[in-house]
Amino acid sequence: MAIASGGGHWVQMRRIMPAFAGLDVFYVSLDPSSAADVPGRTYYTVRDVSRRDRLGFLVLAGQLARILARERPDVVITTGSAPCLVALGLAKTFLRAKTIWIDSIANAEQLSSSGAQARRVADVWLTQWEHLARPEGPEYWGAVL
Amino acid sequence: MIFVTIGSMFPFDRLIRAMDGWAEAHPEAEILAQIGAGDYVPVRMPWVRRLDQADFARTVAAARLVVAHAGMGSVITASEFGKPIVMLPRLMERGEHTTDHQIATANWLRDKPGVYVADGDAALGPRIAEALAAVPPAVPIFAAEPPPAFIARIRQCIFGQS
Repeated sequence: MAIASGGGHWVQMRRIMPAFAGLDVFYVSLDPSSAADVPGRTYYTVRDVSRRDRLGFLVLAGQLARILARERPDVVITTGSAPCLVALGLAKTFLRAKTIWIDSIANAEQLSSSGAQARRVADVWLTQWEHLARPEGPEYWGAVL
Repeated sequence: MIFVTIGSMFPFDRLIRAMDGWAEAHPEAEILAQIGAGDYVPVRMPWVRRLDQADFARTVAAARLVVAHAGMGSVITASEFGKPIVMLPRLMERGEHTTDHQIATANWLRDKPGVYVADGDAALGPRIAEALAAVPPAVPIFAAEPPPAFIARIRQCIFGQS
């Protein structure tokens, strides 16, 4: 499962897609029209939430739970943002999926606040900036650009 | 055509207002502005609230110049179509974003060919003039393909090898 918020998060996910060549992958994002970027693949939309929107998080968690129950992914990978934290948390807790967080390259001076929280739900916790990597994480493996 | 875009999330009225002013001073310029959920409605330039992915790509492809916030979606898309971009970073203190990461984005991109950073609304006009006068970038802002080593490592990780 590859999940990303809209805008720059989805554009960065598009650049990671070559890593999924030949794999059984499905996508989750916010904008229905992004389905055109992944022809032939299953594409789900979920609602966007901001961090203080509690009701929104409940609705989002319900949407994600349904998707995860149906698809049962082995791996969940994301380029952020906040809604994707919920996806990683649910997938790790209930499916024991491997979870990968790639913090957006937009966060060049410090990790995003979602990115900082991702440490708790990501098996692989990455920044795209070498100078933000720390021995205790996040790790730097490179960048989408 | 100059394509003005505020990205996919929050409104950015400061950019739209400034570009409406620029449009008034340049009545010959063909412009389309994507203004999102902003309160300010342009009077001097054609505008739309939002474009779906395909229309967004088509519009960037048809544009001579992109004028945008300092968002990665805008600059990567401009690069994919080989277009120059003028960027005005959103500021947290103005309530334009939740953090000042767009200033960081503007700073690491500002020396790349085809990227023109406006440090404040007043710099928009001069940066646009500079971008329009320049020869379009011979190479895109970013390589067309993502770095193979990074993609390979992500793929290995998916297969459980790291």
